[in-house]
Amino acid sequence: MNLKTSILDYIDDVKSGSYTVEEFISATIQRIKNIDGDIHAYLSLNDSAIADARIIDKKIAAGEQVGTCYGFPISIKDNICITGTKTTCASKILENFVAPYTATVVNRLQNEDAVITGKTNLDEFAMGLTTEFSAYGPTKNPWNLKYVPGGSSGGSAASVAADECLASLGSDTGGSVRNPASFCSVVGLKPTYGLISRYGLISYANSIEQIGPMTKTVKDCGFLLNIIAGQDSNDDTTIDNKQSDYLKNIEDGIDEKRVGIIKEMTTDGLSPEVSAATKDAIQDFEKLGANCEEISLPTIPYTVAAYYTITSTEAGSNLARYDNIRYGYDLDSEGYEYNSYISKARAQFGPEVTRRIILGGFVPSAGHAGKYFLKALKVKSKLISEVNNAFEKFDFLISPTAPVQPFQFGEKIDDPVTLMLLDYNTVTANLTGKPAISVPYRIVGGLPIGMQIMGNNMNERSLLQAAYALETKTELPEVPL
Amino acid sequence: MVSEEEIIKVAKLMKIDLVDHVEHVNRIKKMLEYFDILDQIDLSSEDITSQEKMLSELRKDEFIPNNKKLIKSLKNFREHYVRAPKMN
Repeated sequence: MNLKTSILDYIDDVKSGSYTVEEFISATIQRIKNIDGDIHAYLSLNDSAIADARIIDKKIAAGEQVGTCYGFPISIKDNICITGTKTTCASKILENFVAPYTATVVNRLQNEDAVITGKTNLDEFAMGLTTEFSAYGPTKNPWNLKYVPGGSSGGSAASVAADECLASLGSDTGGSVRNPASFCSVVGLKPTYGLISRYGLISYANSIEQIGPMTKTVKDCGFLLNIIAGQDSNDDTTIDNKQSDYLKNIEDGIDEKRVGIIKEMTTDGLSPEVSAATKDAIQDFEKLGANCEEISLPTIPYTVAAYYTITSTEAGSNLARYDNIRYGYDLDSEGYEYNSYISKARAQFGPEVTRRIILGGFVPSAGHAGKYFLKALKVKSKLISEVNNAFEKFDFLISPTAPVQPFQFGEKIDDPVTLMLLDYNTVTANLTGKPAISVPYRIVGGLPIGMQIMGNNMNERSLLQAAYALETKTELPEVPL
Repeated sequence: MVSEEEIIKVAKLMKIDLVDHVEHVNRIKKMLEYFDILDQIDLSSEDITSQEKMLSELRKDEFIPNNKKLIKSLKNFREHYVRAPKMN
């Protein structure tokens, strides 16, 4: 039995009787127990995973109808709710919060007989790029334990890369699926805004965040998307995807497709290794038959500031509910005055969340909104026009996912601007609502580099075709664990 | 340039006590200084756009019975009311 297998190969193996679901899930749980002390991808495990596997095995043995997942193991970022399980958002303020309902994405997976392995680590409330802001300690990069795994879905990415599951669900507000996917050498998709239900995702910045799949292969990403995408009556921002089959024609290639190389994301600020890999990726696209041409999107240098302004504002509002009256930890209200009680409760927030809430109060406030928040919204509008115009000419827009490779713990945490700029290549897809995918492309010096492909709204099928084509040009080593 | 006093005032309005306020204030100031880049882009011809949905596209505005599990997860409640500390 090979835990490095893909979802699609796993399903073939289970169907052919090579091993049972219980055998695979047991081996996966054992792997987690063996290595997760070092990786710290998980915050909690599903104690009934093996029992869940047995139920699916019984259905297979009895010839009953089995869900399309056939019990493959999947981890879930710990800001996505599952009934009766802790959902901490990697925050002390939700340390003992047990979700009273299940997110639509998890319901859909469970209805198709996926087995949840556990909940994965993240930067507190998904605010960060390294998992160093988790209240429960950082996740380590499986490629080198001294290096960050990216974030905020760092636990999800590491769990897939370290073969502690076959796939994971993360959430992407400014690159939080794609950045750790790039840093850990897995596939990560930020879908079109509205393609996947956010019901049950604990809100950070509602207007731009999306849940996204993280997998070992592009085909697995399409497989997962088939299950979790589509309209949900519990989330009015969801879009009818006409039950698209994201695996259909995935091998069709990108011959004659028009690929725009985003100038602002491929010139300044890249490390030499990422720059060299990007040039090679462009050559690969050309070898695959695509017509590549540089395109300038002049609004991009302003997107990081606009992104942090908008998300801080929404975070300041969304996190107001953690006042220990509605949500919070156990603190008796007797003897406290209202405001001091809430302040006392909010002292449980970690440093980054505290700062974002303050920023979120500042940038939209009277006297400052014109300088920050309203300008940020206009930057967003200008960017949408610019990118829409680009898609008149191109089928895809490409860049490296992150301007640098993974770095060591503590290396960048003291400089907030350097940390923000790690989002430079990813926030455009969030601000415009476009789908974007990170594809593992190269390992240099033992550390991964991912390439990002952006598509037009609801064009995930062709985006996955392009991602699959690029994937066929790569031959990457196995993670050294 | 944003002053330390302004940041501390906003923190208080957001009901946050800044314990190690020097580090927080310095980091927030650095972020706000970076946001000044927004002054360099010409947005004079830009409008703020938003996505709109027809009322008919939204789910029905109907009463859904209260999920009692939610109330039970609260630390302080009496009957149907959430209890909060007294306001001065």
